[in-house]
Amino acid sequence: MNRFSSLIEALDAAPADRTFITAWIDEDAHENVTFTEFRCRARLQAKIFRDHGVSHGDRVIIVMPQGIPAMTAFVGALMLGAVPAFLAYPNFKVEPSKYRSGLAGVTANLCAKLVVIDEEFPDEMLSYVSLSDQTTLLHASHGRMLGGELEFTKLEDHSESLAFIQHSAGTTGLQKGVALTHGAVLRQIEHLAQELETDPATDRIYSWLPLYHDMGLIACFMLPMVCHLPVVMQSPLDWVMHPETMLQIISEYKCTLAWMPNFAFQFVPRRTPQGRWAQYDLSSVRALINCSEPVRASSMHEFQSAFTSIGLKSTALQSCYAMAENVFAVTQSDIRGSSGPVRIWADGQLFRVKHLIVPVAKEAPGSVSFQSSGRLLPNHDVRVVSDSGELLDGVHVGEILIKSDSLFEGYYNRPNLTAHAIVDGWFHTGDLGFYLEGELFVVGRKKDLLIVGGENLYPQDIEEIVGSHPAIHDGRVVAMGVYNPDLGTDDIVVVAEVEQAELLANSAEIELEIRNLVVAGTGLAIRMVFLKPPKWIVKSTAGKAARSATHKKLLQEHPELNSIEGGTNSHEARSTADD
Amino acid sequence: MRPEAQQMIEYIVRLIRRPNLNIEESTPLVSSGLIDSMALVDLLLKLEDLTHLRIPPGKVQPKDLDTVAKMFATAQRVGKPRK
Repeated sequence: MNRFSSLIEALDAAPADRTFITAWIDEDAHENVTFTEFRCRARLQAKIFRDHGVSHGDRVIIVMPQGIPAMTAFVGALMLGAVPAFLAYPNFKVEPSKYRSGLAGVTANLCAKLVVIDEEFPDEMLSYVSLSDQTTLLHASHGRMLGGELEFTKLEDHSESLAFIQHSAGTTGLQKGVALTHGAVLRQIEHLAQELETDPATDRIYSWLPLYHDMGLIACFMLPMVCHLPVVMQSPLDWVMHPETMLQIISEYKCTLAWMPNFAFQFVPRRTPQGRWAQYDLSSVRALINCSEPVRASSMHEFQSAFTSIGLKSTALQSCYAMAENVFAVTQSDIRGSSGPVRIWADGQLFRVKHLIVPVAKEAPGSVSFQSSGRLLPNHDVRVVSDSGELLDGVHVGEILIKSDSLFEGYYNRPNLTAHAIVDGWFHTGDLGFYLEGELFVVGRKKDLLIVGGENLYPQDIEEIVGSHPAIHDGRVVAMGVYNPDLGTDDIVVVAEVEQAELLANSAEIELEIRNLVVAGTGLAIRMVFLKPPKWIVKSTAGKAARSATHKKLLQEHPELNSIEGGTNSHEARSTADD
Repeated sequence: MRPEAQQMIEYIVRLIRRPNLNIEESTPLVSSGLIDSMALVDLLLKLEDLTHLRIPPGKVQPKDLDTVAKMFATAQRVGKPRK
């Protein structure tokens, strides 16, 4: 049972003078707002939107840089009962053509009443915002000229009406707009707050996560808004340029909770000079939660090893399984535990050949390890099913289906996609995993799965092995399946960047060592290894290696691979969507 | 040409591994495809080093970094003195 009937009611209940958001810009500049100041600014936005004809149910698209103005615009729309959606703001890291196609597709699908941009929005992008006769383009700066505040009429209980739309990560193609009700969001937050034992008197969230992504929007904006927690945030771009600032902010503000994708657990220690680690203090952190599929024990270990000496508790690193379609989290590891998320070791051969989990000792030859994403949140249920839909027991790997009280209503304006995704109330996640003794383990994406000679392989596992070679830049490896018509199965092809271009002089030697590592780790041989100079692999907007785009680039440079693929584009049929 | 611009050109030549390429201050880099968007993070960090400025990345678009001349103009426009 929710304490509030809407997100706005939750905001209204916040203590007036408590600091809500600190927007950290650099050492000398930051902006603070209390809950009261935030409410006033949001009401002003609501008034402006209403003056532009926005009312209940209208979509309001917000394309603004990360910061308090974007957040007040979002909540201003919520105050009117309108349905806001954040879209990524163009930035120097995103290919303009890629951004433009994403922007055009998403704005057309939402048919918004209002598109809110800031005064610095690049002119050359404007023509790609799909504006119908019913859409108004509003420059956020214009709002500053107008006085007065919305005479706020409390909305009727609309807990089951649409609150907002959140999109999947990235800016490519036709992203799916996940439509969420106030009730679903509030129920999710209630579960999350309970599992994390949040306390407004002592907790403070740190975030560099984009607001157009569920981690940034739900965990680092809606959760603190509803639970009345302070949050210190910086822009994702500032973080990616200077990841060390994360350590600086957590130390200065004594932040207690944060969420990050898996790659960040390696990126921060690697990009922060070791000589400066001792300047920082992470002892305030209660939980730093890895929300990736899958969660990598090696990444968590790297972060823990680096920062134990500056106070990072051995129980601070936690995991969860989250997706926009469930508002956010499905599972959360037990933060009261004494040793972080559960980890198990299983027989590697049985896992690959039969997708069967047979626990073995850590030291057993050929064992593979899995890090749990945690236990189900209250009112959540999970099923693991085979390709034919048959229910599997805890020791079999299959597709993860979920049912919960915070599940989405559907993909906005995409009834066919929705019908495929939600069947009999169960959401088909497209993730593969197993549910053993109350712990959910996610092993990879169903569409990424490589079947090589009857064995099931996940590209991430091969990439992790190849990335461990000292000459290879970890995180800049792509493993893919290329169909071999002679054998009727996939061959494994690996593209990897060397740390420095000079290392390419030793290609033959490095290639041999990589092959040996992969055979030792998986028992399978790689068909081809392509060693490339730094910066060759195509990265997604989230900084991850983009498999599909890298595959295309490889085919362009090595047309001989097309003949191996037998004229069919077998990879594309299963191409990954992380780019 | 200022020494910082020359140093930036040398850095770019190494970054894109085209030692024989002649790059001037006005040579288009992003729009011509010589530099991809991911390499721009490194370029921006180098620009911070050369100018001793902190450049807020949110105020920079790809077109602002299209030539070496534009990079330094952008740094002057949006950069803040570093501590």
